[in-house]
Amino acid sequence: MRRKILIVFLVALVAICSLPGVAAEKKLTVISGWSGPEMDAFMPVLEAFEKETGIDVDYQIYRAEDLAVLLPAQFDAKTAPADVIFMWAWFIAKHAEDGHVLDMTGYLNEADFIPGALDPVKSGDKLYGGVYTGKVKPGFWYRKSFFEKHGLEAPKTWTEFTALCSKIQRISGIKAAIASGNGVGWPLSDITEHFIASYAGPDITHALIDKKISWQDPVVASVFKDKLVPLLKAGYFSEPIEWTMAADLWWGGEYGLFFMGSWITGMVEDPDDLGVFSLPDCKGIVFAPDYAFAPAYTKYPEEAKRLLAFLSTKGQEIQVTAGGHISTYAKVPLSVYPAVDREVAALLEGVVALPDLDDTIGGEWQPAFWDQLKLLWVSPGRVDEVLETLQRKAE
Amino acid sequence: MRMAGQKTSRTIMLHLVAWLLALIWLVPFLGVFMASIRPLSEISRGWWKFATFTPTFKNYVGAWNHPAAPISRGMMNSLKVAIPGTIFPVLAASVAAYGFARFSFRGRDFLFIVIVALMTLPQQMIAVPLFRIINKLGAVDSYVGLMVVHSAWGIPWILYFMRNYFSALPVEVEEAAKVDGASDWRIFLQIVMPMALPAVASSSVLQFMWVWSDFFLALILIYSPTKLLATQRVPLLRGVYHVDWGILAAGSIIVMTVPIIVFVLMQRYYIRGMVGWVSK
Amino acid sequence: MPVSGTCPGGDSVGQTRGRIFFFLPALILLAAFVVYPVINTVWLSFQTPEGEFSFLKNYAEILSEPELVDLRGFKRGFPYGALIHNIMWIVIHLPLTVMLGLILAVILRDVKGGAVIKSIIFLGMVTPMVVGGIILRFLFDGSVGILPSFLNLFGITRRTLTAHPDTALFALILGSLWLWTPFSMVLYSAGLETIPEYVYEAAVIDGASPLRIFFLITVPLLRPVTGVVITMTFLWVLKIFDIVYVATMGGPGGASNVLALQMYMYAFRQFNANAAAVVATFLMIVALIVSIPTFRALRGDEA
Repeated sequence: MRRKILIVFLVALVAICSLPGVAAEKKLTVISGWSGPEMDAFMPVLEAFEKETGIDVDYQIYRAEDLAVLLPAQFDAKTAPADVIFMWAWFIAKHAEDGHVLDMTGYLNEADFIPGALDPVKSGDKLYGGVYTGKVKPGFWYRKSFFEKHGLEAPKTWTEFTALCSKIQRISGIKAAIASGNGVGWPLSDITEHFIASYAGPDITHALIDKKISWQDPVVASVFKDKLVPLLKAGYFSEPIEWTMAADLWWGGEYGLFFMGSWITGMVEDPDDLGVFSLPDCKGIVFAPDYAFAPAYTKYPEEAKRLLAFLSTKGQEIQVTAGGHISTYAKVPLSVYPAVDREVAALLEGVVALPDLDDTIGGEWQPAFWDQLKLLWVSPGRVDEVLETLQRKAE
Repeated sequence: MRMAGQKTSRTIMLHLVAWLLALIWLVPFLGVFMASIRPLSEISRGWWKFATFTPTFKNYVGAWNHPAAPISRGMMNSLKVAIPGTIFPVLAASVAAYGFARFSFRGRDFLFIVIVALMTLPQQMIAVPLFRIINKLGAVDSYVGLMVVHSAWGIPWILYFMRNYFSALPVEVEEAAKVDGASDWRIFLQIVMPMALPAVASSSVLQFMWVWSDFFLALILIYSPTKLLATQRVPLLRGVYHVDWGILAAGSIIVMTVPIIVFVLMQRYYIRGMVGWVSK
Repeated sequence: MPVSGTCPGGDSVGQTRGRIFFFLPALILLAAFVVYPVINTVWLSFQTPEGEFSFLKNYAEILSEPELVDLRGFKRGFPYGALIHNIMWIVIHLPLTVMLGLILAVILRDVKGGAVIKSIIFLGMVTPMVVGGIILRFLFDGSVGILPSFLNLFGITRRTLTAHPDTALFALILGSLWLWTPFSMVLYSAGLETIPEYVYEAAVIDGASPLRIFFLITVPLLRPVTGVVITMTFLWVLKIFDIVYVATMGGPGGASNVLALQMYMYAFRQFNANAAAVVATFLMIVALIVSIPTFRALRGDEA
């Protein structure tokens, strides 16, 4: 027995000694959270940059949640794990204040982007990041075939909307009218933001972001108490379900409606069967771009800025051809979009484009918002407490 | 006769209960296993339903060769950390443990208790200062840095375990060797260590498992795409807007296989290591 | 390292000095990578974010936040605050770990194939926590999870146990039991082997019932094991983080928040290193207080 253990030890020692080391190469590294098919759609963008500039680019996946742990320690030690990093806008702005982010002023022309797109990564008149494509969160998706089969129609008024919910609820085999997707919490926040934009208005959304109005203000509270809570109490919303599964169950006919961003068009078997409507009286639709920055500690600052500028401009044009993304770069022509995305882009017409509320506020408020909504969804009676907590966290 | 019958039925009951418990403990694993070999649509209403059953290994291949976070590479990397991260602290702690067991000096017991107390600290509390030190040493994003930290955090309990073991060894042989003029190191290496090999195996197995399973320290210290460890790659198998549960489940199971194989092969030592908490 | 010059056995002074090298590698590692960061953290907990010494001010502020203690919980249900949740976790987890581990050990000793069953149960201990959290999500989910479906057989509405404030914490405690009970089972199994057979034989001859034997012989003889199980379980619960992080992120509405997760929130969401240090120091002090009796006993045995 002893000899066996000794041998195991020796073999192990030999094994480590013979492991090859990793050779260092001159390369840019890009970090974002996209994995699987999302990543496949992103790679052509990086390849185009490599071809144009001759600079090699490595891609690495890190979710924003993990970056939030990794980056502060790195910045503290004046290092960075990559040269261009996709991250929450609030995080970029916060760390730009402390000098951890490369100044991008002059590398992007604000007039070339849709209005306000660069604001979240600006500080004074300095620009600290680039903006990438965005996702539209237009409203409730349904299967056209399902609506036809049961004689349903997209609602035009609030009354019609509640009537639609109750009709769907009564169809046999239906578990609930609306599938509530849940990830870390954001699909619920998207629904809530849509309600706020529709029944309190885009100005209130902005006021909430700027913390100029209280969450307990009657205007905000009434959106929760008069619109959302009655639906929740009636059981029209399912309990929060892991959202990829929710999509599957909704597509399979267990739920009638599903609130999701425009990327759903790339998730279902037959995008042509998809229909979508915004809440009646909707005055603003969330259009949430992804943001990226170059950390101040990159070894190749010029190359990193160049890549960031490329991603914000030409990169977007390549990305949107893959579907599911809407450009924030105004020079991207509509003709490069897949047909289904052109419809999504059309939804934005006539309404105000809003930033994503929780992504813009960020910080500890964001997970608190997600978490409180999860509570609201299963215990709508506790709405007062939820609003109070949201306000306390915002202060 | 009645007594015997009662006894038989009790034995049967006991076996039933025992196997039922085993089943209960196994069930959570089955859920993930089923998700790894069956399409999501088939299990989204319950993996225990077998109306349709189309097993496939493609998720395992997919996770193993994942384009962005190949688990295969992560397994190699984890070995590169876990093997030295086991050998080094076991050696350092064994040597010190022998010192605590055999040499007497002022403050020995106090120092020993302080070290054992370090065992209880939660690692999360030291993330930022730890990163600072490793960075000053220029060892961030290197396996040496991570290995050293794992060694430091493994030492208290290995030291505790080994000291208890050494204390229980008969001291006579060592004294005889000392009379013959052997040095401390010679006695330790030639007489004590060979006797302590089972204990070395036990602490090695436990330390290996902990290093392998660690996520938190690796998250802070290792970040190059090619260098990520196996546990770090599991969460990367899911995207922001797209979660492939099959690949995620398969990746989880692949990462588990190494601790399971080590456990099956070295079960005796693993259990002894655990039990080391009680034995004196 | 104060090595005394006069060691029993008449060693030469040179040899005694050489002994310092037995301790050096371990002590240097501990000092640099464990002790220093810990002291650093404790020091941070007494400072304001601006770097001024404020002693216990941070502690007073943080302990009065509803994230830590939320007395409204006693009127309206979860959440009660991370501190209270940790206490509830211990109150539920501790006795169950002790009882389940002991019962499993006793049953499996007398069962054919007991070793195999033990190995199966032990799987939880060798599961990386990252994977453990994913497994729990599958287990508790309202549609794919087996537990809600099983409960449904008894007329309990099928729902995602981790999504509701009244069940989230209990679901996590259940998951933690699943992962941790193997530890106490193994310890008790080893303890049982140290009880000599003749003790039982004598009891059987005296006509004691199995239950009496269990309570009057087995349990008292295993008391030292129980002490260790209690201490280690306490430490396990204090540090609990990964499964909460993966399975619920402390929700819904903070209903399953725990101290280690709150520390994470302070550190990496609020970027308030001082608040995080307060929670960390608090956890450390409790951990030390809990483990002191065990260390005392350990020293007593040596003397």
